[in-house]
Amino acid sequence: MQYMLLIYEDESVFASTGDQAAVMDVVGKHMALSQSMGAALVNGAGLKNTDAATTVRTGAGGKQTLHDGPFAEAREQLGGYYLIDVPDLDAAIALARQVPLYAQGAIEIRPLLTHGEHKNG
Amino acid sequence: MAAEDRPADVLGPAAREAGGRIRATLAARFRDLDLAEDAFAEACVRAAQTWPGEGVPRDPAAWLYRAAFRAALDQRRRQAVRLRLQPDPPPPSPTAEEALVDDARLIPDERLRLIFVCCHPAVAVEARAALTLKLVCGLSTAEIADAFLIAEPALAQRLVRAKRKIAEAGVPFEVPSPDGWAERMDAVLSTLEIAYAKAHADAAGAGPHAGYAEEMLRLTALLVQLAPEDGEARAMAALVRYAEARRPARLDDTGAMTPLSEQDPALWRRSLILEANVHLAEAERLGAQSARALNAAIHGVWCSRRSLSDPPPWRRVLILYDAMLERRDDVVVRLNRCVAVAEVKGVDAGLTELSALPGPGLARFQPYHAVRADLLRRAGRRAEAAEAYTCALDLAAGPAERLWLERMRRQVAD
Repeated sequence: MQYMLLIYEDESVFASTGDQAAVMDVVGKHMALSQSMGAALVNGAGLKNTDAATTVRTGAGGKQTLHDGPFAEAREQLGGYYLIDVPDLDAAIALARQVPLYAQGAIEIRPLLTHGEHKNG
Repeated sequence: MAAEDRPADVLGPAAREAGGRIRATLAARFRDLDLAEDAFAEACVRAAQTWPGEGVPRDPAAWLYRAAFRAALDQRRRQAVRLRLQPDPPPPSPTAEEALVDDARLIPDERLRLIFVCCHPAVAVEARAALTLKLVCGLSTAEIADAFLIAEPALAQRLVRAKRKIAEAGVPFEVPSPDGWAERMDAVLSTLEIAYAKAHADAAGAGPHAGYAEEMLRLTALLVQLAPEDGEARAMAALVRYAEARRPARLDDTGAMTPLSEQDPALWRRSLILEANVHLAEAERLGAQSARALNAAIHGVWCSRRSLSDPPPWRRVLILYDAMLERRDDVVVRLNRCVAVAEVKGVDAGLTELSALPGPGLARFQPYHAVRADLLRRAGRRAEAAEAYTCALDLAAGPAERLWLERMRRQVAD
């Protein structure tokens, strides 16, 4: 089963004024984790900060608007993801627990829709 | 075939007795809770149709299992056809020899797996107990809705949502690995503990919770049987038994509650206390040291009292509450500890501890006012006590507790 591990943390901790050694430590841990995931890892990436984000919003009636920034302002931002392929939720939780964070944050585990599956209420 | 049994008298108890095991086996085999429930329900319908004509089978549970298993396979095949996939080849029909196998050998016991699925941390907290009671114990949605005091449609929706989450998030139908065991067992036991607290709070025992307190006895017995080496499960089994043992003494002739220290131990159910003692000793042998285990030990200390002429064991209770505070520091533990402090060190010491309790939310916490009223009454501060009794009565209290609080308020008002 494929799951997306969505990494949410306060991106301001990675600002240039921060502790670069600590940031590099987190990066190193991500690399080590990717290695140790082996075949379970489909792919993954870090995302640039939300000040690089642009959002296309489609409202009622199909009207589209474009704006600068992420879709929602929040205390923690989506900062990266892992796409993994593991047998079940427990295996996904075990990997999510190992995702390094700079300080605090959250890893959301979302199963992917499989072929032929549709979103339902 | 037992011709003397009336089918209708056999089906209900057989379905209730074997339902959990059959649903668990089907769920483990097909990885689908809805399919397991539907297939078992279908088997019961077919039993109701065919048993009156053909007679009650020699082993009703085995019959129900086979019928449910076939119904599940049928459903799966229909689903596969709908998805235009190649269906699995049908399994060979049971041989004559297989038909003689009794249910205990036929139906593997997968209930522990099912319990872990229902109480998985990924399942909404408020749905876990209901799901367990429904799938493992076979309670109907209406019975569970009664017990939890919520509307049946709301509960049904909660159950649907929880089952969908389990299916879609890929919650595994496995018992957890040893390194995850303690955390997962804790999730199971906390679920049962919260569900049981609801049942126990109903002192009258006449409310909708009463039958389901009995269900908690069965469920904890089952858990101990399935996971005999888990000390925490033993502690939980002890806890429920000690508490249920005292149920007959919790009300006086007028229907008012009787405080624990004034209950007549002669009215307690000895057989349950003896069972609880065994579980508690096992919990201690297995090294259970959680707040839950200490809570069971406190209940055990109370239940070791043989008559009202024995002095109440407040000193030992206080020592255990001190230990508990190191593991679970919340307002309930602190409040209970205040009661013990007042008994051991005097009412004023109890009131001092009480005034040190953390403030927010306390004003709305009914037990706080009940304890405070009692300590003020014993300290001779009658006007303040009357006021505190009124506060306790204004917040939701059960009928048995109301009667008792009203009586106490009259004492200080006279």
